[in-house]
Amino acid sequence: MDLFKRYIKYASGGVLSIFILLSSALGQTNTNNVSLWGRVIDEKTKEPLAGATVHIKGTTHEVSTDNNGEFKFITGQHVPLVYTISYVGYQGREITVTSYGHLDIELKGGSAALTEAVVVGYGTQRRSDVTGSVATVPKDVLTRPTSSFDNLLQGAVAGVVVNQSSGQPGATATIRIRGGNSLSFGNDPLFVIDGFIYYNDNSLTNLAPNSGTVPSVTGVSSNGLSTINPSDIESIDVLKDASATAIYGSRGANGVVIITTKRGTKNSNNISYSGSYGAQRAGKTLPVLNGSQWAKLFDDLYAATPTIQSGLAANKKLIDSLGAAGVNGDWVDAALRTGATQNHQLTIYGGDEKSRYSLSGNYFNQRGIILNTDFTRYSGRFNYEKNYSKQFKLASSIFGSNSIENKLTGTAYNSIGFGNSFSSLYLANPLQPVKNADDTYNTTPQPAINPTLNTISGQQFSDNAIQDIASTINQTKLTHVLGNVSGEYRLTSELVVKSTFGIDLLNTRLNYYAPSYTNLGNNGGTITGSGSVGTIGYTSWLNENTVAYNHAFGNKHFLDALVGYTTQYQKSENTFLAGQSFSSDATTYNNLYNASVNKVTGSGEALQTRNSWLGRLSYSFQHRYNLTLTGRADGASPAGANKKWGFFPSVGFSWNVSDESFFQKLSGTINSLKLRLTAGSVGNANFPAYSSLSTLTSYGYYLGSPLTATNGLAPSQLSNPDLTWETTTQYNAGVDVSLLSRRINLTADVYYKKTTNLFITGAGLVPLSSGYASASENIGSLENKGVEFTLNTENIRARDFTWRSSLIYAANANKVLSLGPSQSFFPIAPTGQVSPVIVKVGLPVGTFWGYSTAGLLTTADVYGSKTSPKLTGVSQVTGDRKYVDITGDGQVTTADKHNLGNAQPKFTASFSNTFTYKNLDLSVFFQGSFGNKIFNLLQQQLEKTTTTQNVSTTLLDRWDSLANPHGRTPKVVNAPVVQVADVYIEDGTYIRLKNITLGYNFSRDVAAKILAKQIRVYVSAQNLLTITHYKGLDPEVNFYDQNNLQPGIDYGVYPNTRSYTVGVNVTF
Amino acid sequence: MKKIGLILLLGASFSCKKLTEKPQGNLTPDNFYQTQSDAVAAVTAVYSTLTTDINNDFPIYGRNLNLIVDNPSDNQVYSPSNTNPDVRALGTATYVSTNDRVHKIYAQLYWGINRANIAIDKIPTIPAAQFVDPSHSADNLVREARFIRALLYFDLVRLFGPVPLVVHDQATVAAAGELVSRAPKDSVYAQIITDLDSATLLPASYTGANIGRVTSGAAHALLAKVHVTRHDWGNAVTELRKVITAGTAGLIDATTGSYGYDLFTKFSDAFQAATKNGKEHIFSAQFNGTTGGFTSTNTLSSFTWSNSAYTADIPADSSVVHLFDIADQRRDATFYDSLFNQTTGKWVKWPFFNFLKFVDQSTGFVTALQGNQGANSKVNFPVIRYAEILLLYAEALNELNGSPTADAYTAINIVRARAYKSYTSGGSYTDHTYDLSPGLSISDFRDAVFTERRKEFIQESQRWFDLVRRTDLGPGQYYLQSVLAMPGNPKAAATLKDTLFPIPQTEIDLYGGRNPNFQQNPGWN
Repeated sequence: MDLFKRYIKYASGGVLSIFILLSSALGQTNTNNVSLWGRVIDEKTKEPLAGATVHIKGTTHEVSTDNNGEFKFITGQHVPLVYTISYVGYQGREITVTSYGHLDIELKGGSAALTEAVVVGYGTQRRSDVTGSVATVPKDVLTRPTSSFDNLLQGAVAGVVVNQSSGQPGATATIRIRGGNSLSFGNDPLFVIDGFIYYNDNSLTNLAPNSGTVPSVTGVSSNGLSTINPSDIESIDVLKDASATAIYGSRGANGVVIITTKRGTKNSNNISYSGSYGAQRAGKTLPVLNGSQWAKLFDDLYAATPTIQSGLAANKKLIDSLGAAGVNGDWVDAALRTGATQNHQLTIYGGDEKSRYSLSGNYFNQRGIILNTDFTRYSGRFNYEKNYSKQFKLASSIFGSNSIENKLTGTAYNSIGFGNSFSSLYLANPLQPVKNADDTYNTTPQPAINPTLNTISGQQFSDNAIQDIASTINQTKLTHVLGNVSGEYRLTSELVVKSTFGIDLLNTRLNYYAPSYTNLGNNGGTITGSGSVGTIGYTSWLNENTVAYNHAFGNKHFLDALVGYTTQYQKSENTFLAGQSFSSDATTYNNLYNASVNKVTGSGEALQTRNSWLGRLSYSFQHRYNLTLTGRADGASPAGANKKWGFFPSVGFSWNVSDESFFQKLSGTINSLKLRLTAGSVGNANFPAYSSLSTLTSYGYYLGSPLTATNGLAPSQLSNPDLTWETTTQYNAGVDVSLLSRRINLTADVYYKKTTNLFITGAGLVPLSSGYASASENIGSLENKGVEFTLNTENIRARDFTWRSSLIYAANANKVLSLGPSQSFFPIAPTGQVSPVIVKVGLPVGTFWGYSTAGLLTTADVYGSKTSPKLTGVSQVTGDRKYVDITGDGQVTTADKHNLGNAQPKFTASFSNTFTYKNLDLSVFFQGSFGNKIFNLLQQQLEKTTTTQNVSTTLLDRWDSLANPHGRTPKVVNAPVVQVADVYIEDGTYIRLKNITLGYNFSRDVAAKILAKQIRVYVSAQNLLTITHYKGLDPEVNFYDQNNLQPGIDYGVYPNTRSYTVGVNVTF
Repeated sequence: MKKIGLILLLGASFSCKKLTEKPQGNLTPDNFYQTQSDAVAAVTAVYSTLTTDINNDFPIYGRNLNLIVDNPSDNQVYSPSNTNPDVRALGTATYVSTNDRVHKIYAQLYWGINRANIAIDKIPTIPAAQFVDPSHSADNLVREARFIRALLYFDLVRLFGPVPLVVHDQATVAAAGELVSRAPKDSVYAQIITDLDSATLLPASYTGANIGRVTSGAAHALLAKVHVTRHDWGNAVTELRKVITAGTAGLIDATTGSYGYDLFTKFSDAFQAATKNGKEHIFSAQFNGTTGGFTSTNTLSSFTWSNSAYTADIPADSSVVHLFDIADQRRDATFYDSLFNQTTGKWVKWPFFNFLKFVDQSTGFVTALQGNQGANSKVNFPVIRYAEILLLYAEALNELNGSPTADAYTAINIVRARAYKSYTSGGSYTDHTYDLSPGLSISDFRDAVFTERRKEFIQESQRWFDLVRRTDLGPGQYYLQSVLAMPGNPKAAATLKDTLFPIPQTEIDLYGGRNPNFQQNPGWN
């Protein structure tokens, strides 16, 4: 009814204004300008359509509709004239206007899906003509609250899998489009931000100087993409297959994500504010023993291990008494708190006849759920376009942002360090209270845990992990400026020359300081404070010059051509300074000159240049048969001297079957049907500069009396002038179909990708007798094949109520086809650990490799007449883990290790539903991963019984010949040898209610009371519900970050959060 | 149209960047090896391989060779701190060709050999005029590198038998990919001897900043050991006489050594930071206890003091300790079973013995055990020390003459006298209580020498080599009988195949069927 009333009101307003306009037109003949206004609405629902383009035919006049579908021209044009109206997802329309005044223009939904423009590399293409696999992230996804937009891609587009490395605000994520192509590096897609090519290289936000004497390194990368304000993003398009990505040549193999930021609209001035506030809690914590339980475990260890009895007699007495007294330190709980996010965004956008602008400022702050962790970002953007003449257009866009991330230390890549990491808290001594009665940190030496000392003092210095977390500074500051200017000259109506120049500056500053009273700042009493700073300056500039030509031969043949030449220059320079032992903690990392020991300095640089030729030819016959030929020739400096240049071609064909005459009788049911077929080869050249060169590394030795460090130099790697990019050859077949008045839309694709020339740096490629432990070579191949579909349906379309659904499904199967001379290799494991994953021909990357177990050894297994095979090299007794002798040779050796499952999901899926009822809207988004395994390394560590750490409550059910003969975890042994075994390889399948949002749009009347055009309020919850069998903290886990070979390993990273947000959007 | 021109001009001016890489922050073989200091640095990198691992794992002489040579011997099995199953397998004779320690040592030895090959190839290409500092002539730098190459090949050929003989750097992946066949042991030894012969032209000693470099004495000493290993007793004796200090009391046959080598009176001085590079040390891997990783930190015996329940390594059982008389000073210098706790003022007795030799006591015994210092031992690893020269001399004379000569007795008795605390210097001591009884047969004397070697060199990466090189009972029998005689029979799985280590499986896999000459050692397939 509301809607109807409004309709009447507009209609009457329209009549009134006609009179006014007519009289003004008649009375003031010397004034040329008149107002033309109206509203664009959906034909069926009569809902206003925001962002539709209204063009006055034969002129340059063009406006966009506002959030209420309204548009207005102030123009010298007079009726009669013709509007051309276009809107994404609707049929375009031409309408002749014969009178002034308000006009409601209805657009038909659906079939415009074929005429709208789709973003492709270096341009747009009519959707009906597209041959490649291109997907657009749904608009409503972009409005979800997040610190970094890459998180939004999770579940939003079929075939895109996003894995956050941790819940740390600003943390990195790995993004895989149709599976990983490379074993070594660079599996993340290429980002193109307003035309600027940006590869999100984690090494640009982290410094790990290669020196054994560096006191500290921050060790964990920050996410370069988090510098981009998600609220600035207008659209995200994902190019998936070779036909779509070949225009990016040697960098197209992993898919391309094209990001377009918000532009102004002609002839309008808008101010909009959006703000949100959210609260977060940890999703889940793991149960560990409390003080008295741990005291009992200690007693068992003590009884079982004669070698510690004399050493720990005094400890035992004290531990027992503390246990009995109920002393308990809950370290995990002490570290956690309620997190909070707030986001404020102010955007001013609009334009006049010839120019459009958009100016925005944003403040985002997230207080982490762990003490002393947070993320703050300030960002601003200015986009401006001006048509200087009918031929010449200049556009520029610039954004700058500054973000500060405070994070935990200690989850350093490739080493499992305990200090200050979140997982270390699970291992902390439960018999030490976190705080004293007066709320100060308890740093009194507590009973532990070191038999070499036979003392109740395990440490000579204060040791309180919570104090360490609260007082250690580990900060990453990113300053990111990206500017882009382009000039476009229309030589003829069919020929356009465009030149773009852009520059990208990313400056990283890493600050670290562990005060003298912390574990890392004390190092066993050897130092007083440890600090470091690092900077990385990254400069990239890009120049692209293209010529585009399009021509229609009659109404049948349509030709589009594009050629271009581009050059990109990327340089990063870093410095690193560190020192230890300061006379005061007061200056933290700001005065490293005062360090008295272990002063370290370092610097480095890396330069890459790329020159490319690119071209694309699209031909369409009646928009029914479409052919796209694409190619790019890339010359890249990091490639070996003999292989600098490569050529990457692709071909795509699509057929709009529904346009055929034979199809017409079906057109009532099947509104459109399109088949696509593409093939091509694309590259992955994301390897570091100087990879092909032999470079010298420092190898020191001590000589002389007194011994003095002497620097030696020797080549650390073999040169390889034949080193080149990995090539992925991809075939894609797809179908797009619309049914039942376009209420059901299905896009399905099936693809096969084979990556050859795998860039492998590793052992086993050259003989060890060469003296080089590893080499970099293009060797081996792997494949990814899969299917994916997206089903969008409009289940209910009523006047007041609508219900739309989107179901996305993607399955990818990955397999290593060859590894050159070797059949398998193990990625380097952290020191003291055995690699749980193998890379093996015939198996997918991320295959877990270890022993199967069959419960625990029984007395009969050990002493019976028919004993079970036992693990060699270890003495195994009753109650120990029983490993399965796969080879049947009577003993359990490393040969009995076998495939224990894979970290890559069999398929991923998401299901989103959007309901609207009058002004209310509700969206519910489920997302899940199915059939993947996780190596629960934290649980393995938490079941390792030693006197030096706390353990999981699963050990309450430990085997004991008398007390618990049916116990499920093994007999207590001090410091057991840990094997990679199936008990810690768990099913990682999950279904997660990722987002649920309830919003309300106030009516115009209400909005008008505060002079606003539009007001929307919403509440939203993230990660509200997770259904999984996984016993660890969170099934969305990836300890090893961008490392391709070790996915699905859980070492208790910063936990994922459950979060609740309220927000408001107002446009004035 | 002017604007277009401007834009294109702007574009073109930035385009066409060169694709050739010229790193500004990295040295490459193209811009290095041009000066004398470059040559010195190239040789320092060769030394570095003795005490450094590329992946910060245990270096050759920091612990890895010890794991390979001592754990499979009758002195050790494995220690509670050996959580790596592959390390444990070495101790129980159950290791296989994929054992990561075996792989590691093979890789490390060739890594060092390659560094030496580079220095030996590149230094002669540097113009002679560059060598202005006479203390580092091009010739001597090459000789130092040749000594290290010989030392590492000597370890290789003893551990693995015939091995690929690579004497030049291959530089590119394509060249390195060539599959070099295993050279017969004799060819490897011929190369070792040539290299060592060249190193005998090095200076006899150094001062100041160059102490610790290879000397001619070290070259002769290692040459002698090579000859003994090959049962070339005559040449061994010739070389040994050049090393043994002339005028050593009690030695009748002319010895000519002018190096001034002698034994420390105090046995433990051979393993202390304060007495490093002393008169007993002929060549040592230099450690300085650097923090962070294993680089230049001797991690033998002293690896995990601070936060783990166990010290690094322990002997196989108490019978190893009980080999020693209570009066033998080597016992207390090699093992300990109790510690003094400064905080409580009490002695703590351990339930078993631990190795002490490489524990760095320079910062004070208790401190070393209480802080993190345990992980930072500054104790040098004595690759070859004078006591071994005396014992090799005793052994070689016995074998050469078919029975122990007077000099053979004198040599071994000097070592024993020092053990029993009566030794002063120059071969002199007064208390002859512990001298070997005279008139031993060749085999009894041989037994005496090997027992003495065992006691003298516990944890010095000698015992397994000794067990397998002795062939008087038949090839490998001495090894087999010794390890099978251990209490509790921890090495029950030992067989004759264990007298050579398997070529790492990755190497066999790499060669595949492509080089039929490249076969695994017998019994390891």
